[in-house]
Amino acid sequence: MTQHATQQSVYSSNLSIIWNEVVKNIKTLLAYPTIIVFWAIFPIFWFIPFILQGEAFVGGLESSSFAEITGTGEYIPFIVIGAILSSYVNTLLYGMGENIRKEAYQGTLDYVLAAPCNKAYVLIGKAVSESLSSTIFAISQLTISVLLFGMNITLGVMIPVSFIIILLILGLYGMSLLMAAFSLMYKQSYDLSESIGYIFYIFAPVRYPVESLPIWAQIIGKFIPLTYALIIVRSLMLLGTDLSTVYLDVIALLIIDVVLLLAGLYLFNKIEKKTRKSGIISHH
Amino acid sequence: MAIDKESEEFSIKTIDLTKKFAKKKHRGIFGFLRKNKQNNKHNEVTVALDELNLSIRPGELFGLLGPNGSGKTTTIKCLATILIPDKGRAIVNGFDTQKETAMVRASLGMVVGGERTLYWKLTARDNLAYFASLYKMPRKKAKRRIEELLETFNLSDRADERLEDYSTGMRQKVAIARALLHDPPILLLDEPTLGLDPSFARQIRRKIRELSEKQGKTVLLTTHYMNEAEQLCDRVAFINNGRIVAVDTPNRLKARVKEKEIVEISVYNPPTDIERQIHSLLPDAEVVKLIRGNEDDGSPSKIKIIGGTAEEHIGTVIDTLRQNKVRIGSLNVGFPTLEDVFIKLTGAKLTEDGT
Amino acid sequence: MDKSKREHRLREVNCPTGLNWSNLKAELKAVWESYIKDWKIEFAYPVSFIRQLISPIVYLLPFMLYGIALVGGRYSPNLEQMVGTGDVVTFTFTGYMLMGFIGTAVWAMGFSIRRERWFGTLESIYVTPSSRLGQVLGMALHSTVHQMLGTIIQFIFIYLTFGIGLKIEGTLPALAIFALMMLALYGFGIVISALGLILREGWVVSDALYSIMMILSPVAYPLVVLPTIAQNASALFPTAPALIGIRSFLMENYHAEAFGNVFLHLLLLGTAWILFGVLVFHLTDGYVRKRGMLKKF
Repeated sequence: MTQHATQQSVYSSNLSIIWNEVVKNIKTLLAYPTIIVFWAIFPIFWFIPFILQGEAFVGGLESSSFAEITGTGEYIPFIVIGAILSSYVNTLLYGMGENIRKEAYQGTLDYVLAAPCNKAYVLIGKAVSESLSSTIFAISQLTISVLLFGMNITLGVMIPVSFIIILLILGLYGMSLLMAAFSLMYKQSYDLSESIGYIFYIFAPVRYPVESLPIWAQIIGKFIPLTYALIIVRSLMLLGTDLSTVYLDVIALLIIDVVLLLAGLYLFNKIEKKTRKSGIISHH
Repeated sequence: MAIDKESEEFSIKTIDLTKKFAKKKHRGIFGFLRKNKQNNKHNEVTVALDELNLSIRPGELFGLLGPNGSGKTTTIKCLATILIPDKGRAIVNGFDTQKETAMVRASLGMVVGGERTLYWKLTARDNLAYFASLYKMPRKKAKRRIEELLETFNLSDRADERLEDYSTGMRQKVAIARALLHDPPILLLDEPTLGLDPSFARQIRRKIRELSEKQGKTVLLTTHYMNEAEQLCDRVAFINNGRIVAVDTPNRLKARVKEKEIVEISVYNPPTDIERQIHSLLPDAEVVKLIRGNEDDGSPSKIKIIGGTAEEHIGTVIDTLRQNKVRIGSLNVGFPTLEDVFIKLTGAKLTEDGT
Repeated sequence: MDKSKREHRLREVNCPTGLNWSNLKAELKAVWESYIKDWKIEFAYPVSFIRQLISPIVYLLPFMLYGIALVGGRYSPNLEQMVGTGDVVTFTFTGYMLMGFIGTAVWAMGFSIRRERWFGTLESIYVTPSSRLGQVLGMALHSTVHQMLGTIIQFIFIYLTFGIGLKIEGTLPALAIFALMMLALYGFGIVISALGLILREGWVVSDALYSIMMILSPVAYPLVVLPTIAQNASALFPTAPALIGIRSFLMENYHAEAFGNVFLHLLLLGTAWILFGVLVFHLTDGYVRKRGMLKKF
């Protein structure tokens, strides 16, 4: 076989790994229709209290204090965007760690690791399947929110928003690889995932403007990809700006993505080798 | 509390015990698009127990032998009150399993599922202390009993280590110790040596024997290891498709099957009429066959005797060979196994590989 | 020992049963041991233990910061118009402080039996003569104490960060209301634990119920913000009257809404939920044993 043909063959087999992983995970998900319905609808219930809180404190649908900080007094769309994006993040982040933990619990993880393929492609497959399902859930939640809360969404704004979400996903892939690495090493990785979720929840402007936080907390927020994604998406959807206005935040998001992806890939490969050497996998 | 006269002489008695399971097919979100090739029904009904009748005397070590899916575990679970039968009754220690549940539970110790039925994040001592409270044992008595059991099972040195650091065999010992905490008169052991290495399995079997012989406990043991049943049990019941097929002592069960008794003798320089000579000594034998070997290469000839009462007349056969100046290399007698009996009675095998 | 001469062991069991002091003592001991067991298992996961202690702060902070951002400070004239006090920080804190205990019912109790099935220990527990409810109550006790620790840490954090105005003299009646609320929540939790046994994805039910109770309880907003039908529905759950009662004793100028005598309301609710819970649990217990559902899913 020529070198070119060998490379082609390897490339298509790696794609095949990703594809098969996606198919497996989606088929598994389809075996649980209750969970699909849950994720498509229930995250909305989680932010309804914030909307009602707003009505109680402000006495209407707009807050002048909010407008001073964020540029828009409409707190409901502000909350909805934060909720849907953070729900997206949750399902991706937890989904990866949970996926690996399930493989360990079912006993299939040993076989996956013993396979001759590069495990990063298996993880990419997992990440792609989680992204697919998360996207479908997010679309469902957005549709319900538009119907329930009367949000205005133009199709034109969805193109740059989709671009930002793709950038966000790339950063989250990097984080997922890091968490997958820790899942292999430490049995209490669920707590690690939750703790990282806490950091996102407090330091990223999910429920409140980033300016509400003290300066030291805002600095921490600058290292979280979700912070930029939220600022950019809200700017596009609520303030009617375009990407050129927020280009600095877009560049920052890109830089974080690259750092997280590289760090994630490097650490995952290193820890995977280490765990195979120490036999920790079979202890799960 | 009324004593059930029907079962007064038995520790365990089941009367027409029946249990069916309707298995719902999980076909996923698009299941309605896929046709069921075998049938159009969504639910299959499996008959796990089909009017099962069993009687076990006090102090007996009773084996329930059958292949996977025959109803062994279902029987145990019905007796242990964790499964309610659809029809029939079960009486344990004189108590009805459906009406006097608490007393039934107090009368038995159960080992089902083994090591995975303990808290791995707790120590052996903590596990036993916790379950002692569930058996309503007074604190001081529980403490004494726990120390006694840890000593008996050689776990005292590691009693304060978490179970996650134990081997499978050690965890199984803890599981058995738990079943003995409240010193119940009856033990239900569901495949207690499954997955254990031979050395641990031997220890467990020895312990089970002791519990029956020295402490007089009634033990109902399920297994698909026929040699375990032969070694341990006073009586064995075969169960297949939820029904008892036969009950008797292992030897009497094996005596029902004669045709698989095989005697194989390797010999050197046998005479040509040796088959006729041996057949005249063993008229009941189905087959007496001389298989010539290549003695120049050192491979002996073999005389195979199948069926009949070869075991009883083996001395006479050997005398005949000596009279004919036949040198005997080795002698092997293949006794019928319980597997052979099971196959004869049901047509099914106990295990897939026949072990 | 010769088997034929072996003493028959028929009926030699010492086990308290029925309605008597001896049995009650034994059942209470089983509850206590279940409580201790849960703590021992919890301490085997130290990271999880610490994380769960700080999670009440994590979930409260967004409500606080969001509320402050909405009104540009800690005073809301609209809130004051509704309930007599405009202190958004204290209002939000007193609401969220109790919210964690709903988690005791829907998550901790809801998952108690299911968790035993996941461990593989459920059948071993079922075979013992103690009541299964003891497991659930042991877990409930563990979760309640756990939540109390988290609430104390939460209180200290919020007090130091934002400052809270509470009436000390209202502490005792507030605690009494809290106790009555917990009684009803335990009953509710028993129902959820029973459902957790028969439903394959029980966590979905727990999450859904938690979300619904969160909306129906005046945690972050007064009850009058809800539509009338929702306000009426909230009377069926203990958190709404409890929150209103506790706020009226702890917050200056807070005037009670809707429920009349909160103590009586909670006592009736508590009794009803406990009785209903025990009934559902008993029926489910029989159902799962009939269907052979004690094994893992």
